[in-house]
Amino acid sequence: MLLPRQTRLVLFLLSNLFFIPITFSLVEEQEQFTEELLLKPLPDRKVLSHFHFQSRAPPTASYGHHHRLFPKAIYQLVHKYRIREMELSFTQGRWNYERWGGFDPISSNNAKPPGVELWAVFDVPEHQVDAYWKNLTHTLSGLFCASINFLESSTTYAAPEWGFQPFTGSLRYGTLPREAVCTENLTPWLKLLPCRDKAGLSALLDRPSIYKGFYHSQQLHLISAEFKSGELDSGIILEQTLTVVLQPGAKRTGLAYFQPSWSMSSIFGRQITGKCVLAKSSNVFLQIDRDAVSELKDMWKEMSVNSDKMSKSLWSNPYFELSRAPDRIKEASSINSDSASILYEFFIQKCSKSESFDLGLTWKSSFVWSCPKAPLHATRFLMGSGNERGSIAISLRTTELNRRLMDADISEETCKLRVDIFQMVPWYVKVYYHTLLVFVDEKPQALTDVIERMHVSPSEDKVSPGLMELALKLPCGLNSAALTVEFSKGFLHIDEYPPDANQGFDIPSAVISFPRFNTRLHFPKDDSERSPVLSYTEVLLVPLTTPDFSMPYNVITITCTVFALYFGSLLNVLRRRVGEEERILKEKAANKKTGWISILLSKLFAKLRGRPSESPKSPASSSSLVSLKLLLKVVLVASVAVGWQIEFLELCGFERIDGEKFLDLPIEKVDMAALVSAGSEL
Amino acid sequence: MKKNWYFNLRTLLFSFLLFISSWVSSCSSSYSATTMHTNNWAVLVCTSRFWFNYRHMANTLSLYRTVKRLGIPDERIILMLADDMACNARNKYPAQVFNNENHRLNLYGDNVEASSVDYRGYEVTVENFFRVLTGRHENAVPRSKRLLSDEGSHILLYMTGHGGDEFLKFQDSEELQSHDLADAVKQMKEKRRWDDAHDHHVLGFMNWFKELLIMVDTCQAATLFSQLHSPGVLAIGSSMKGENSYSHHLDSDVGVSVVDRFTFYTLAFFERLNIYDNASLISLFASYNPNLLMSTAYYRTDLYQRQLDKVSVTNFFGSVMETIHTDTAYKASSSMKSLDSEMDSIIDETASMDERRSLISTNIEDQIDNSNMAQNCPFHKKMSEFYDKIKEIRDVDTLVNYGLVLTLPVLAVSTLLSR
Repeated sequence: MLLPRQTRLVLFLLSNLFFIPITFSLVEEQEQFTEELLLKPLPDRKVLSHFHFQSRAPPTASYGHHHRLFPKAIYQLVHKYRIREMELSFTQGRWNYERWGGFDPISSNNAKPPGVELWAVFDVPEHQVDAYWKNLTHTLSGLFCASINFLESSTTYAAPEWGFQPFTGSLRYGTLPREAVCTENLTPWLKLLPCRDKAGLSALLDRPSIYKGFYHSQQLHLISAEFKSGELDSGIILEQTLTVVLQPGAKRTGLAYFQPSWSMSSIFGRQITGKCVLAKSSNVFLQIDRDAVSELKDMWKEMSVNSDKMSKSLWSNPYFELSRAPDRIKEASSINSDSASILYEFFIQKCSKSESFDLGLTWKSSFVWSCPKAPLHATRFLMGSGNERGSIAISLRTTELNRRLMDADISEETCKLRVDIFQMVPWYVKVYYHTLLVFVDEKPQALTDVIERMHVSPSEDKVSPGLMELALKLPCGLNSAALTVEFSKGFLHIDEYPPDANQGFDIPSAVISFPRFNTRLHFPKDDSERSPVLSYTEVLLVPLTTPDFSMPYNVITITCTVFALYFGSLLNVLRRRVGEEERILKEKAANKKTGWISILLSKLFAKLRGRPSESPKSPASSSSLVSLKLLLKVVLVASVAVGWQIEFLELCGFERIDGEKFLDLPIEKVDMAALVSAGSEL
Repeated sequence: MKKNWYFNLRTLLFSFLLFISSWVSSCSSSYSATTMHTNNWAVLVCTSRFWFNYRHMANTLSLYRTVKRLGIPDERIILMLADDMACNARNKYPAQVFNNENHRLNLYGDNVEASSVDYRGYEVTVENFFRVLTGRHENAVPRSKRLLSDEGSHILLYMTGHGGDEFLKFQDSEELQSHDLADAVKQMKEKRRWDDAHDHHVLGFMNWFKELLIMVDTCQAATLFSQLHSPGVLAIGSSMKGENSYSHHLDSDVGVSVVDRFTFYTLAFFERLNIYDNASLISLFASYNPNLLMSTAYYRTDLYQRQLDKVSVTNFFGSVMETIHTDTAYKASSSMKSLDSEMDSIIDETASMDERRSLISTNIEDQIDNSNMAQNCPFHKKMSEFYDKIKEIRDVDTLVNYGLVLTLPVLAVSTLLSR
């Protein structure tokens, strides 16, 4: 009698680990917190660790506003912004779909694009959604110490119609591909847990070893049924997951192609000292992949291990050995495969205070397997050269899974593979959607043949990003498919460039989903929701033409030089009185030579030249001639200047007089020091 | 009844308006000087982007650790970091930042409960810096990103980055000029707090700080605060005009310099202190040896009223406040009563019975805050009383109109006299 109940509980917990439960048949009037950790050796000598913490608050209507375990900040967030569903992820590194798998729940739900990704569904009228979104981004940026508030600008988020999630109208989606993810984001995330990182599984989270990893993604998923009317109210479910891919310490164990042996303390540098006492359950799972299991079984067959030794040999066999005996071993059948992956389960409850829990895996012989992959492997890249235009290409290549699947029903003519593509492009990359081309097996196809459904909202400069949602139906037996679409690059205002503009600009990842394929490990009697297979493509880096940021400085410098030249020469012309200088010189000369002979000689020369003798007192005639020339020069220069930049003079203090015919600088406004210095420069 | 009240108020306002100008000038200085030091804030800014400026982030985080250790809580520290160094791909020690090559202290560690970085990356701009200082935020900006200081706050403003003559570079692309900084500080000092509910109604004149210590570690740091002229500001820079500030040492493991000289010796001074030490600011300022710094630490005290040897460093770098010993508990209530009686006599002349109750209740709150201020300035009580009346008036327009009418005769008289 007791046993079946327990089994059901375990299955229930397992389902929590892998799937997002949306509906619950039984409403529990208790706050609940569960913690789980999944460890999985990866084919490329790395270890995946996936922490999963779930807090559940019963509906407000029956339970009230005060909570014992559920974080208050999240509860208030849900109520203030009327959130129906929300997901926030902080990721660094890129999930390697080829090596780490693309057809399991973790790669579909927990492989995220680098940087920050946020999407939320609001339970408000459609015209208010944007306002709620903006406030939500600000709040989250305060809560998680990140610049999520950059998603507030309408150029950074979009409202997908159906390509991303099936919520029309009230869904908003935005990503920040270049957001740094570090300790300051993890700490507030851990603060939401009832035991923080002081006890339980989260005590393993040693910052340096986590951030040393190849990939880490920290997620917060929120589902609330608080505002749904007429449906079964299941309260708020907060799921926090942390997915880390770590490289176990390279202990040389003979052959180089051996999988490295590891233990919790070797990959995290810490051990579990006990469960979080507030958690309802606290479990550690170790998963061995399907391919690995089938290989194991083949070997067992060869060695003809009888069935009663089987259970023991599942965790201690000639190939690997676990440091602890598992509390439960579960074989989970998977889609389209006769073999199943094995799940070893360990209950932390049993672990006492004195004895710490340290799970280790030791490989005894070399072992090669591969992870299940998505039907098609997607890559995205840029084509074209030059700084003006280019094109984005998404290439889909078939994987062995697809080949295996398709071989089965290749005979059917109507077999179609449905692929959904969702792509958001910032406005400064102007995509020409009419240039969309689809190639199947390198042959161009008519769009109407392959596209089942299409939604495009072109970008609007400085207002909204471009959005493309495509539903492709591809023939089953394909080897490769490719989409290309051309774009040209726009220009930003000089103030809109980031400080490191020369690094280039990011195009957020495209989302490729396969709605007909569901990831789910098949446990008997388990009826949890299936989630579609989802993968993210690479972030693209587009170099935009950047302006010469020192140009304003150069302009100022050259303008100043030109003005200094102009004013210097003007001053020189205005102030130097040539006639006066001549007269003074002559006077000096005359004063020196006061002898009558000189006067006589000068008079004589004057007579000889046929001009009346110049008395020292009358240089006026010649000086007036000179000054006339000067005046002409001045007028010429002045008119050129006036024609050139009359405004500037007015700015400098010149005033228009005589019915705007002249510019006049009042003498009291003249900065003599400046003028003299300008003159002396020349 | 209402009309009568209004009439009374008008006469009251009229009479007060005549005297207010002289009072304000005489009392304003003592107002700020007598406010108690009630809390501490720290704004720590690293303005440099890019990996090779690692040391600026290490500087800022070191100061963060110091002020936190000395008692300023996380929510009262605004930390601005222009780039991510801890999880930078070039960092050999992920999620760790060191300020010394001995790597004994991880500034980013979880023992310091991991820094709460309030502004980071592209968010660290001159605009956001001024928004923090002057408090002009969008409504949606969360509290953790705001400087919610008040008239009793001591603020430490620490900035580090690359600078020059009268400017400090932000993010390697824009500059903070000394005039801008002076302007922001002036606005903080004279800030009028706008209440969101009663938009554009002055609810109270608030100093956003009582005292401000600006500490700058850049080249030619002293030029950055040359334009300051707000009272209560103390400034110290790592170098004089024409001098460079140098880094202290290179960490060959990290590959870059990890700390600047000025900050290194500041930290060396603080590492010897704990929260109970009574080291004075002058001992900090005197600890900078120009030969070790390779620049001259310059501090400006002409705007600062108190003696530096009487001011403890924990007044700015910690959260240590002067405690006042009272013989009996709840002394404030007894002073409240005496104030009440004083006020009654004043109000009897002008206000009707109805408004008195509300006046007293509002006044008490103010008087508790400024109880020792009343003795210093004889007119202050009336001032604050006048203040509350203004607060109560629904339409300030009439007040403004009266003020305008009043200025006309003054103008006429002054022009007459000037002839």
